[in-house]
Amino acid sequence: MAENMMRKIKWFWPWQDEQEEAWLRSMSQKGWHLSSVGLPCIYRFRAGEPRDYVYRLDYQTFPKKDKQEYQQLFRDAGWEYIGEMSAWQYFRKEVKEEEPLEIFTDVESKIAKYKRILPFLWLFWIILIVIFPVRGISIDNPYPWWGAIQAIQVFALLIWLFFTYVIIRLWLRIRQLRRL
Amino acid sequence: MLRDDSNKYLPLTESTCYIMLTLVEPLHGYAVMRKVEEISKGTVKVGPGTLYGAFTALEKEGLIVKVKEENRRKSYVLTPKGKNVLMTQIKRLEIMTQNGLSVIDML
Repeated sequence: MAENMMRKIKWFWPWQDEQEEAWLRSMSQKGWHLSSVGLPCIYRFRAGEPRDYVYRLDYQTFPKKDKQEYQQLFRDAGWEYIGEMSAWQYFRKEVKEEEPLEIFTDVESKIAKYKRILPFLWLFWIILIVIFPVRGISIDNPYPWWGAIQAIQVFALLIWLFFTYVIIRLWLRIRQLRRL
Repeated sequence: MLRDDSNKYLPLTESTCYIMLTLVEPLHGYAVMRKVEEISKGTVKVGPGTLYGAFTALEKEGLIVKVKEENRRKSYVLTPKGKNVLMTQIKRLEIMTQNGLSVIDML
């Protein structure tokens, strides 16, 4: 990797997008400007003069044609498009006086953003229940591969708990915003 | 006569209401953002995330429709259904404003 590039792997939960934005801003203030994002949780930075960039994240899935219209709208409003990580869209803008620094200007549209994530999470949550219904754990070993099946069951259960946790935390975030 | 189901979309948020007000004529996204700020005398600013979300939702509900596309900018305009919804909203706001004005001396 070139000397002026740096790669970081960092995990943010979907309800922590504001923390993620703040972290990216602090990186730019130190002279590391986000140049691209990618799975899994990879952030690539390019070295440069320290600048005060604000970063903003949206969550959108769309066909390619609509994506061009979407990016054009943000460009017109002064936002630079950086990239996409599993439907999260990354934008930035340099902080200047008189420049609006928010891409969401009311609570309803912020809530709508989090609500766009939920259908995808519900889908996986339901698929996991259908494929791996919870069966009684038996101490008998009716088949030689019984142990392997149980290991997969436990693994599936852990993933299911993970999705349940994310859904609950997102729902709490939405409720917190509604109270504002 | 069409059954009036305008009320199911009401009340509109302030941003959505202003966005629809600008779409009495075909406008593309950025033009909507500037016009909302202008006609609201700077009281309402619509960011691109909020605007894109509103466009998607309004188009899906058939309240606005795409009329033109050039240089990746799509223009939208109100549909008859959208005009109906906006009209109902304006009447409700008018009642509220009259109520406000009638008590304004007591505030």
